[in-house]
Amino acid sequence: VYQVFESVAKKYDVMNDSMTLGIHRVWKDILVHKMNPSPGTLLLDVAGGTGDIAFRFINYVRAVRERQLQRKLKHHQDLSWQEIFENYQEDKSDSLGDSQVVVCDINREMLKVGKQKAQHLGYSKGLSWVLGNAEELPFDDDMFDVYTIAFGIRNVTRIDLALEEAYRVLKPGGRFLCLEFSHVSNPLLSRLYDLYSFQVIPVLGEVIAGDWKSYQYLVESIRRFPPQEELKAMIEDTGFFKVDYENLNFGIVAIHSGFKL
Amino acid sequence: SVVRCQHYPPVRALQASAVLRRVSDEHKKEPFTPSSQQQFDTHPAGHQPEQEPPQGPRPSYTGQGGQESEDYESEEQLQRRILTAALEFVPEHGWTTEAIAEGAKTLGLSVAAAGMFHSDGSELILHFVSECNAKLSELLEKEQKLVQLGEAEKKPTDEFLRDAVEARLRMLIPYIEKWPQALSVLLLPRNIPSGLSLLTSMIDDIWHYAGDQSTDFNWYTRRAVLTGIYNTTELVMLQDSSPDFEDTWRFLENRVADAMNMSSTASQVQSTGEAVVQGLMGAAVTIRNLAGLNQRR
Repeated sequence: VYQVFESVAKKYDVMNDSMTLGIHRVWKDILVHKMNPSPGTLLLDVAGGTGDIAFRFINYVRAVRERQLQRKLKHHQDLSWQEIFENYQEDKSDSLGDSQVVVCDINREMLKVGKQKAQHLGYSKGLSWVLGNAEELPFDDDMFDVYTIAFGIRNVTRIDLALEEAYRVLKPGGRFLCLEFSHVSNPLLSRLYDLYSFQVIPVLGEVIAGDWKSYQYLVESIRRFPPQEELKAMIEDTGFFKVDYENLNFGIVAIHSGFKL
Repeated sequence: SVVRCQHYPPVRALQASAVLRRVSDEHKKEPFTPSSQQQFDTHPAGHQPEQEPPQGPRPSYTGQGGQESEDYESEEQLQRRILTAALEFVPEHGWTTEAIAEGAKTLGLSVAAAGMFHSDGSELILHFVSECNAKLSELLEKEQKLVQLGEAEKKPTDEFLRDAVEARLRMLIPYIEKWPQALSVLLLPRNIPSGLSLLTSMIDDIWHYAGDQSTDFNWYTRRAVLTGIYNTTELVMLQDSSPDFEDTWRFLENRVADAMNMSSTASQVQSTGEAVVQGLMGAAVTIRNLAGLNQRR
């Protein structure tokens, strides 16, 4: 698995776009909207390599924070100009409201690409990049508000260990969110999807990234991954409550959510 | 002022669950919140379908592990606790996920726990309404007991209705600024069944305790009339700036008097029904306008 991602790191984003015809962006947007983070949230994004979820999280929290500040200002209609100015000054340094993302990935290359992207896109505050294994996270217990793993849990050898680690590092009341390819139940769509997966994707892999094998591995790992209900049961067994999943695009992708209660 | 003092002890981690507490612990450590626990025992009529009756033993619990069947509180009970804690933050944040997140924080939970609820605050509002209804029932029950024991006079119907509606509406006072927002959320199609059922069971409750046999109203008319009175008074209250809402209570007095007068003529009763329906329709439009259709989320 490590070698697959080493070779894949640099072309990761391009391949994502071409394989999913750009829809992966929408999926990730939906994930962050479902999370609905409030300012002050501490997020752990596991297998988050190139930072897609982390950047969306920061954008979302920034927008929420701005709205909050605007609302506060609206209530301060009788302030003098001096007071308003002071308000702006102190709030400027707090555009994220203490929210933070820790991006954790097992692969150094993916983290490097992520850091470069962050610099390129201008994200500086509230981001940390940590090398780590999902089955054995280098964090203390009860640390994070939200744990996300987008298109990463499929690549973990022992899913149950990763789930247990997720449970461990989450605060009480914290939320587990998993975005992953899943099973399509609709038979017609399923056939079309299979056709696309096995015929088109490896070819794209060869053409764009020069790597047929990695993408064939990818498609096969998707097929081997447990379906929605099974993953839900696994999450419940780990100790999460209110576990639920939401199918996107008829089950091509599913978001599983659980709370540490 | 009506301040809800919720002193919840820090949540302890238990073997099977990080947060869900043993029902026994609730009693050992929370001797001063009987009101928030009891209200779920009174009048299940006001409860929504998904709220289960409180599990486990209540006042007669021995605390020695005697009851094994329901040891831990359920997710629903925890959710109710979070919502109750969230009410304290409603005047500042409105009926929103933010209020719920703050509520969760006071219980020692992560702000992410607010993700358990809908992002428009529906559950918080419905929880509040249901709690208020339960408190009202409790109040009316107590009053009835006093009358039965001969310690109080039985009130005439119009005074009874007035006092009951006033008591219920006074519970809105701490949240009155954000109440229009709540009403508009209750009007969302998704919430109408629950909201309506809470309303009608509250109205039925009041009539039950009014115990009135003398008027000519039949059951449907009684319900419709009181619902109309309640809703219109509520709307007047939202726009009332008089000291202690005295204009509202005067309006209420007049409406109740009108209703009593109408009981004498049967045909007038029918037109009352129609007028009430029209009144409700108008009320719905007014609420939407008041709240400015706050549905940008």
